[in-house]
Amino acid sequence: MSITPQNSYGRSGEGIDRAGTGEDTLRLIARLPAPDGLEERVRVALRAAPRHGRVLAWPVALRADAAWVRATAAAAIVMVVAGGGWSVYSHIQPWQPAKANAVPARVGTMGEFSGAGAVRSPQTLQPPVVSAPPKSAGLYPSQKKRHKKAAAATVLTGTLAPAAK
Amino acid sequence: MNFDDTAAANAVRQQAEDAALAALVDQYAGALYRVAFSVLRNAADAEDAVQEAFLRVLRHRDQLNEVRDHRVWLIRIVWNIVLDRKRRAKTRPETDDVAELARVLPSNGLSAEQVASAAQHHGQVLACVEQLPVKEREVLMLSAFDELSSVEIASVLGITESSVRSRLFRARNLMAGMLNHARGKTRDLEPSGRTAETAAAAEEEGR
Repeated sequence: MSITPQNSYGRSGEGIDRAGTGEDTLRLIARLPAPDGLEERVRVALRAAPRHGRVLAWPVALRADAAWVRATAAAAIVMVVAGGGWSVYSHIQPWQPAKANAVPARVGTMGEFSGAGAVRSPQTLQPPVVSAPPKSAGLYPSQKKRHKKAAAATVLTGTLAPAAK
Repeated sequence: MNFDDTAAANAVRQQAEDAALAALVDQYAGALYRVAFSVLRNAADAEDAVQEAFLRVLRHRDQLNEVRDHRVWLIRIVWNIVLDRKRRAKTRPETDDVAELARVLPSNGLSAEQVASAAQHHGQVLACVEQLPVKEREVLMLSAFDELSSVEIASVLGITESSVRSRLFRARNLMAGMLNHARGKTRDLEPSGRTAETAAAAEEEGR
């Protein structure tokens, strides 16, 4: 192939010494001749390459007037595809909204403490009612003595107080 | 339409496509080889790349009629192939490039020493080219082909013509700087070499 110089911008130099840019080396490489017989080798490679995609042969040759077979096969394919699509569609559960409302954790602003995600739950049950214990019941012996002393002191202060007056 | 007619039409169409492809091979195989070699710098790899490019054309031969400029289209195909190959073959040592270059470059009327020196210089230039940013490097390498105009380079790279010009300008500036730096280093090394030689000679004289 003959070389016809076209890129005149390369020749202009644009203010740069092209000899100092190493372009001569690149041009030398770009002008190297192709090896002999390259075209022939490429042609051989092209001839050896597979030209068509491999197509599986139909086991039974269809006659020209057997169009109804094709129509039936096409209809069967359409039925299978549509049936598959419907079966998938019918098995999918419709979306249901969530029954519980999520409450976002309250974040303290302006330097407050946060609730650390704790949620207040209202008292929905009656609390257990405990009957009041008897006065002396449930006290230990030492506690009983202390109780008696305190009672006596109360009695004494109650009697002495009018005399002091 | 009869089946025989269809087969005959297909055969005729295939023959026409084969003839068109053979014409493309005859016309552009050399140019594609040179583009491939400028990047790969290996004769066998470049030839493989050309074959692969034409095999791709064979696969897409139905689109041959739609292509406006076959030359640019083919160069674009082989350019993409060689860039891909170069990316995959990064492990190859750079010394192979210089050795291959010394073997391939013309050496008519040059002594062995001059050939070796020229190969070393070319190797230095190519090493600097490899250090260029990718965009600038690609434009610089394609600009070395006289038969490619700036419009065609822009078409191969998929950029505008003004981008080609600005990248080429940057590439030349960078190359000039790098080569000056490399030459300065070589000059700095030379006196020390001479001193060593002189010292060795003086030593011999003293003996």
